[in-house]
Amino acid sequence: MIKLPSRNGHMNRPLPFSQRKKTGTKRRERSLLFVVFLHFCATFFSISTNCKLVTSLKPTDDLLNMATTGHNNLNAKLVLLGDMGAGKSSLVLRFVKGQFLEFQESTIGAAFFSQTLAVNDATVKFEIWDTAGQERYHSLAPMYYRGAAAAIIVYDITSTDSFTRAKKWVQELQKQGNPNMVMALAGNKADLEEKRNVMAEEARVYAEENGLFFMETSAKTATNVNDIFYEIAKRLPRAQPTQNPSGMVLVDRPTQGARAATCCS
Amino acid sequence: MYGTQSQRDLSLELPISRQSIHARRAKITVKFQDLYGFTVEGNVDDANILNEVREKVRQQGRAWWALEASKGANWYLQTHVSSALKSSLKFTNLVNAITLKKLIRKGIPPVLRPKVWFSLSGAAKKKSTVPDSYYNDLIIAVEGKVTPATKQIDHDLPRTFPGHPWLDTPEGHASLRRVLVAYSFRDSDVGYCQGLNYVAALLLLVMKTEEDAFWMLAVLLENVLVNDCYSNNLSGCHVEQRVFKDLLKKKCPSIYAHLEALEFDVSLVATEWFLCLFSKSLPSETTLRVWDVLFYEGAKVLFNVALAIFKMKEEELLMTQYVGDVINVIQNTTHHLFDPDDLLTVAFDKIGFMTSTNISKERKKQEPAVMAELDQRLRRLNSSNMDANSGLT
Repeated sequence: MIKLPSRNGHMNRPLPFSQRKKTGTKRRERSLLFVVFLHFCATFFSISTNCKLVTSLKPTDDLLNMATTGHNNLNAKLVLLGDMGAGKSSLVLRFVKGQFLEFQESTIGAAFFSQTLAVNDATVKFEIWDTAGQERYHSLAPMYYRGAAAAIIVYDITSTDSFTRAKKWVQELQKQGNPNMVMALAGNKADLEEKRNVMAEEARVYAEENGLFFMETSAKTATNVNDIFYEIAKRLPRAQPTQNPSGMVLVDRPTQGARAATCCS
Repeated sequence: MYGTQSQRDLSLELPISRQSIHARRAKITVKFQDLYGFTVEGNVDDANILNEVREKVRQQGRAWWALEASKGANWYLQTHVSSALKSSLKFTNLVNAITLKKLIRKGIPPVLRPKVWFSLSGAAKKKSTVPDSYYNDLIIAVEGKVTPATKQIDHDLPRTFPGHPWLDTPEGHASLRRVLVAYSFRDSDVGYCQGLNYVAALLLLVMKTEEDAFWMLAVLLENVLVNDCYSNNLSGCHVEQRVFKDLLKKKCPSIYAHLEALEFDVSLVATEWFLCLFSKSLPSETTLRVWDVLFYEGAKVLFNVALAIFKMKEEELLMTQYVGDVINVIQNTTHHLFDPDDLLTVAFDKIGFMTSTNISKERKKQEPAVMAELDQRLRRLNSSNMDANSGLT
């Protein structure tokens, strides 16, 4: 199985790279040393020679991350936050692909999805950031919620810890997120009624007090999954006064102050 | 026809399905297994590429055997460019070191990987400083203990490459659990960080024994990678991301400017790369080829590879208009990089020279800013908690 280089009979000599050249080993060593020398010279002259910046590209309004409007089209960045294993990825998978996996791969950093919804006579294209749930990943979250038009804060109805985490996320978004952000609270795993540890009423009251809308969802049975995204789509403010002062899309219902609304179904 | 042939040809002992890479693939034509048994879904071209890769792996194996025959077994264990230069400047050592570096960039044959990785990464040395029974003693000592880390590990076991015929079995879960739990006790600052599950799982598949996988994980976290990559607030990871952004600006200025204009933060995609060491994004053999170089040349390799992924798709990236398009281009690229040489050629020949020393300097430069940012954020959050509490009462 192993072919030995028997052609030249120099089997014990060092034969770098291949067996093609059989003479001049010393010269080769010397030239290699020279290559190494060049190599190290290059170190000192380092990488700093090519740092010109192309500045011709400028952001245009419709490239901004916030919910942006075109003709009856809206692009909206949406972020999912919540404790590890609350079911953030499962909710997204159900919404985007209509699938459910009993064991969803753990998310590292965040995963990106997009999905378009038709709401009345407009379409909303969600750019969804599904984030990692482990506490230490918390420090990465601002990158994902920065400029988001909407957030779904997910907890697991069988875990009070996850509800506590959800409240912390709400606080953080209130303090640091986009002030017009539409926020939804999702009590996921609603199919596990027999293991319930967080009462729906408690979550509902909390949501009302904090200007979120609340739904219990189940990615497994698909209960309320499309509904929660649909509800967000309806509530997205159609006008972004600071960024899109002109060319507003006609909206068939007045923008409800996202924070005040507390509808539940 | 080709599909079925490749299917038979490519199946090895370990079958697996790799959701993260292939779930998003739109046009599925064939299913086949790659070298490490991951089930790959792709088109006929992908299958052909994998066949070529298999042939290249065989050739590479022959090159290694030939060198072993001419230089003696284990010749590569005593060579290292820097130590050879520092110490004797002996030509043979130097030649061996250079040969080895080139050889490793071309790939370590899968059969030799456990042995070569274990020595060249420093894992063997690390292991030799403690009694032989260290790992077994540790396993016995931590058995039955429940900590926040063990709970999180248990939660993630079935979520690590689900569907893999060995990893996703009770035996595979138990092995992975022991490695991760043992490490969480060895270094309680790290404990368990999501992402390590994928790294440890792939290490188990390569190293074959739990104990060797454990030592590889230890050397990776303690020596190869930057400090605090996985501990408390991932500060090391934040540093790496900033360094990466700077490098992208220097090495690929037009891509950088374009993405900047789209308000696309490269960390959105690169964070996962650096935390999972590409295991969740690249096909398995490609990931392991990156790791071959990583264990020999150090953590700077991650920058080469990450830059290469952007560089390879420069034209396409410059045409993107939305954040979503950028991500699609990047994901399509990484998921279909079945030929490791496509990636590594760009990574090492077209990115330009980068040294570990320079990268270390860059890290030092970024550290204070990262610390200040994390600190400031924590303070703001605490003040927001106080506000909320006082608001409620």
